[in-house]
Amino acid sequence: MKTNFKKTDSTQYKKYTEYNEVKNDSSELTQKEFEEFIIKSGAKGSFMVYRTEKKEEELGLDEL
Amino acid sequence: MSNNSTSFQNKMDESMKKIHTQTFDNWIQNFAINLENIWNESSAKELESENNQKQKNNSAIIIGRGPSIKKHKHLELLAQSNYKGSVICTDGSLIGALKAGITPEKFPKFYVVTIDPYQIIDKFYDDPVVRKFGSKINGIFSTITHPKVVSLARNAGIKIHWLHTLFDYNEGQKSFNHISAMMVRAKNHVNGLPAIQTGGNAGTSSWFVAWRILKNNPVALIGINHGWEEDEDVSEMIKSHQREVTKDNIEIIKKDNPKYKNYFKKIHNPDFNCEAIVDPLYQFYRMALLEFISRSPSWLTTINATEGGSIFGKRIKPMKFVDFLTNYHR
Repeated sequence: MKTNFKKTDSTQYKKYTEYNEVKNDSSELTQKEFEEFIIKSGAKGSFMVYRTEKKEEELGLDEL
Repeated sequence: MSNNSTSFQNKMDESMKKIHTQTFDNWIQNFAINLENIWNESSAKELESENNQKQKNNSAIIIGRGPSIKKHKHLELLAQSNYKGSVICTDGSLIGALKAGITPEKFPKFYVVTIDPYQIIDKFYDDPVVRKFGSKINGIFSTITHPKVVSLARNAGIKIHWLHTLFDYNEGQKSFNHISAMMVRAKNHVNGLPAIQTGGNAGTSSWFVAWRILKNNPVALIGINHGWEEDEDVSEMIKSHQREVTKDNIEIIKKDNPKYKNYFKKIHNPDFNCEAIVDPLYQFYRMALLEFISRSPSWLTTINATEGGSIFGKRIKPMKFVDFLTNYHR
């Protein structure tokens, strides 16, 4: 499947840091707490993030 | 950046995949029912601007429905402007935008984006104002959108354009993304359809649609808070996820809940010098959008004109919306 946009060096990306920006006194959410919250409050109206080892593909495909 | 943050994002990705694939059978059913229409209707690829427009002044505004949209009267500002670029509504913002006077008659390059596979979002298309302007709206829908949602949009006159939403293509030839793509290619769409990263929500999907499919640049965001205002009732944030606050889930928003501070993070936005309250779902959305903006092609400029919320960081240019409209009115 082809892509025709200008490529960036996406192997150099970093997932975005979060907790350095948090101001209130809180600890990291556990995976269990995260899932519990999502199921109770927000499972509808959302979707998953596509992940693959082919990082460029994570930005989409012109034609599939 | 700490390894803990990366690890947390990985865990959120894993959890969201697990939660959402519980409804995988419904997605297949949606696709199966949609297939005849997919064959007979347009690919989102047809909306692509002339290739030579890329990197030129071909801007877009993505409209979300975060709290800053009301706070800063952004819909009114846009409605009164002479903006000539693309207006891309997330499905949840469509009715509000149309009612505010942001119509396809005034803004001919008008689009709406739906990616969710759930019937619950049919409310976004079930309004007289959608039926009034539908025939001049370009709709962009995932092939796994609930057929009743697409049907409402189609019956309102919206021209349907299809695309795939990526979720399991990494699993190869036996993936649903691959198999459904081959089925789409079997008739009429011999070259297939565009396939987008959703980032988990219609706002991030719209950002991808803008630069990947419509070839817009720059792409401005309004109402894409990915968080909530500090002085707003957090129950409004729950409602923004298509869920009503009920006696079953109300305990998660009680301030005496020991997990409250873990659930609802306060993030300082240095670009707009404000605070945003971010629940776990918005944390998930936020981290993904920030990551993808930072990884986007170098020719693309992303302007955050939301004037609030939690979106700031690498490759994001903050700007007041009124300044965006002045500088990029074409």
